Amino acid sequence: MLIYMAKRIGLSALIIVLAIFTLFAMLNAIPGDPVSIALGPRATPEIQAAYAAKMHLDKPIATRFFIFFGNVLSGDLGTDVFSNRSVSLTLLEQLPHTIALAVASIAWAALLGIPIGCLSAVRPNSWLDRVTGVISIGTITVPSFLVSIWAILAFAIHLDLFPVIGAGDEGDLLDQAHHLVLPAFAVGLGWVGYLARMVRASMLEVMGENYIRSAKAFGLRDRTVVYRYALKVAILPTITLIGVGFGVLLSGTVFAEIIFARPGIGKIIYDMVLSRNFPVVQGAVLVTVAMYVFVTLIADLAVSFLDPRVRRSL
Amino acid sequence: MTEIAAFSRRRFLQAAAFAGTAGFAGGFPGAAFAIDGRKLVVRFNRDLDSLDPGYYVGGHPVNDVNWCCMPSLAHYSAWSGKGTWMPSPFTESVVLPDATHIDFTLKQGLMWSNGYGELTTEDVRYSYDRMAQSEWKGDYQAYDRVDIKDRYSGTIVLNQPFAPFMNATLASGTGIILCQAAVEAVGGRFTNDVPATCGPYVLEWQQGQFARLTRNPEWTGEKTFFDEIECRLVTEDETAALAFEAGELDCAQVSSNALARYVKELPPNSALTTAGALQYMWLGMNTENPKLQDIRVRQAIQRAVDQSAIIEGAYSGTVEPSYGIVSPGLVGKRSSAGYSFDPDAARALIQEAGAEGLSLTLRTLNNQERVLSATIIQANLADIGLNVTVMPLDAGPFWELGQESKGDTWKDLELWLMRFGSGPDPFEPTQWFVRDQVGIWNWERWSSDEFEDLYQRGIAEVDPAERERIYTRMQEIMEETGAYVWLTHEPEVFIHRADLNARFAPSGEMQLAYFESN
Repeated sequence: MLIYMAKRIGLSALIIVLAIFTLFAMLNAIPGDPVSIALGPRATPEIQAAYAAKMHLDKPIATRFFIFFGNVLSGDLGTDVFSNRSVSLTLLEQLPHTIALAVASIAWAALLGIPIGCLSAVRPNSWLDRVTGVISIGTITVPSFLVSIWAILAFAIHLDLFPVIGAGDEGDLLDQAHHLVLPAFAVGLGWVGYLARMVRASMLEVMGENYIRSAKAFGLRDRTVVYRYALKVAILPTITLIGVGFGVLLSGTVFAEIIFARPGIGKIIYDMVLSRNFPVVQGAVLVTVAMYVFVTLIADLAVSFLDPRVRRSL
Repeated sequence: MTEIAAFSRRRFLQAAAFAGTAGFAGGFPGAAFAIDGRKLVVRFNRDLDSLDPGYYVGGHPVNDVNWCCMPSLAHYSAWSGKGTWMPSPFTESVVLPDATHIDFTLKQGLMWSNGYGELTTEDVRYSYDRMAQSEWKGDYQAYDRVDIKDRYSGTIVLNQPFAPFMNATLASGTGIILCQAAVEAVGGRFTNDVPATCGPYVLEWQQGQFARLTRNPEWTGEKTFFDEIECRLVTEDETAALAFEAGELDCAQVSSNALARYVKELPPNSALTTAGALQYMWLGMNTENPKLQDIRVRQAIQRAVDQSAIIEGAYSGTVEPSYGIVSPGLVGKRSSAGYSFDPDAARALIQEAGAEGLSLTLRTLNNQERVLSATIIQANLADIGLNVTVMPLDAGPFWELGQESKGDTWKDLELWLMRFGSGPDPFEPTQWFVRDQVGIWNWERWSSDEFEDLYQRGIAEVDPAERERIYTRMQEIMEETGAYVWLTHEPEVFIHRADLNARFAPSGEMQLAYFESN
């Protein structure tokens, strides 16, 4: 297990280094002069020159890369070129909101999706299976931004149950949870379907195994067979999916953060790309990548812990 | 077995299930979005970047905040279709004895925060001297010095008559006064941590979330209506509209889409207010491009474009027709253009120029209204026998198109849709079309001695009637080049509670300290 962990952590570190390089190259490949875009038509040549110097845009690209890489290694993600605030500080303020949204979304999706998948698998091809299948596919195919708009119209404007914008008052956890409901609903809905289909497929495979047939032959109740023996094995690929899903949501919550005007990493990346505030974009993307790698690492370690056969596969 | 493995697989699953459930534990409070009597919630469509007037990016929402927390000598008066200034509540008087002097007297007893003492003429002089050296020194090109009479009185001396100085400089965001001692104590520069404020409100800012203005306990000036003003960052126009309809915002700037909807049916207890229409959009033509060098081709395009179809089709009738670069409410605003929509005349000009079947490329920013406008123009020009390809572009490459310093694209530039914003003085829009701006922002690449002369006269002229003549003539000169098809003035429109007396600067910023509720 320890050797597997060491290999897996080493691979994760390599992925992050490659991500830094790719990120830098891609940001510099975006067409358009970042100075003109950031400052607009009124900016004088002096303002443009000062801005370019502040962003190191007056230096060769290789120099800029090594400045960036060196700063990242020393834990300095740079400074916001407009507000002069530390990028790390900015991200620390935004990150909890994104994590809260991602956790809430994937958690409610798992709480609903896993039982739906189990129900479908227990009675395959029954009317229940067909209904849950339609629901699952339906939740996967409806675009999340449409769900967001409908949710706002239904639950905020017509029923007046939940707020539309913001993350709630700082320090008031209930208010923050209240503000989390609609975005988490919109983000998590698609994952209900994914998880249900994944659990159903895994369960159908496991339910055909000999040990399940033996358990049934011993006269164990269906409920015991399903939840105590089958689900324990069938859940393994779902854990990986939840891990990957959580990683995807760390950056994939951007639409919800924009539509619901919530603070978060995705939204700040979106805003800062538009204003070509590259230090913040670089820092935010890097943090997102690192968190994605970290979460998938944890998911992989969890699966290898639950299923020792996986440890031999790296 | 390792210590890690001692934590059994079953216990791991139980713990994970518990953690997942715990995330959902707890009830939610009932909905309570009603805005309290003395609390106002408004929309910011952009986050604050820097509040330092010398080094900010400019405009809304920085000015919204600065006008609540910082002193200045002049404010914009309530917008009534004219952009005019008035002495601010920080002054006893502001008087212009002649074209190069501005006498002012500050109110006594207005204190800076953080123990920096009283607002004095030394602060005024320091602030304007600093602005004249700052990144925004262009606004202070006519500023010479402040002569101090005493602790509260002084005179601003200009180095030449400069008619826009009050409207475009002192009443604008660059007219903010800073506390000399406080700014020097932080090294002469700051961003959003303003070292000392002086105004009816103090600022609390949470990046990416809100700017909260609460009453300044040290403020001894006129009391404002609202105890607290929360400015929530909502970048998406549609979200802002939905949030207003859900009662979470009291005032929000709306997009043309939402405006078209609200013009048909307003939400209950709501009102629309137009803050100004200082944007001007036109179809530009490169007079040096071989395909467009013949003025008859350009004049044909002027007559072929159906302005009203663009206003209805792309903007749902929510924008004003434009007849030049000077916007509604300003001296020099024209009431008609020197050409009109006449496809037959356009066809005749094309035939005369031998340009039938000419292929042109129309470049535009890739937002909805602009692309729709371009598509309408494409159809209009097809109607007179010109083949137009529409090329939507991201902001990055678009803003470089006509700039010689950014490469050679300007040589291939043919047609483009452009929109500029302006301040509340006709000097501002005209400055981008002088000879020095060819290859920078004068992408049409023409120049005229008469235009240059009028530009200088317009800056120095203070008589409104004469300024009217000057700026009208300048727009005629632009139009006579054939390089411009005037399209729209987009208004800055806000939706707000019907019982809210909202007040805006002509440039569209909210003057929050003047907001009141009935």
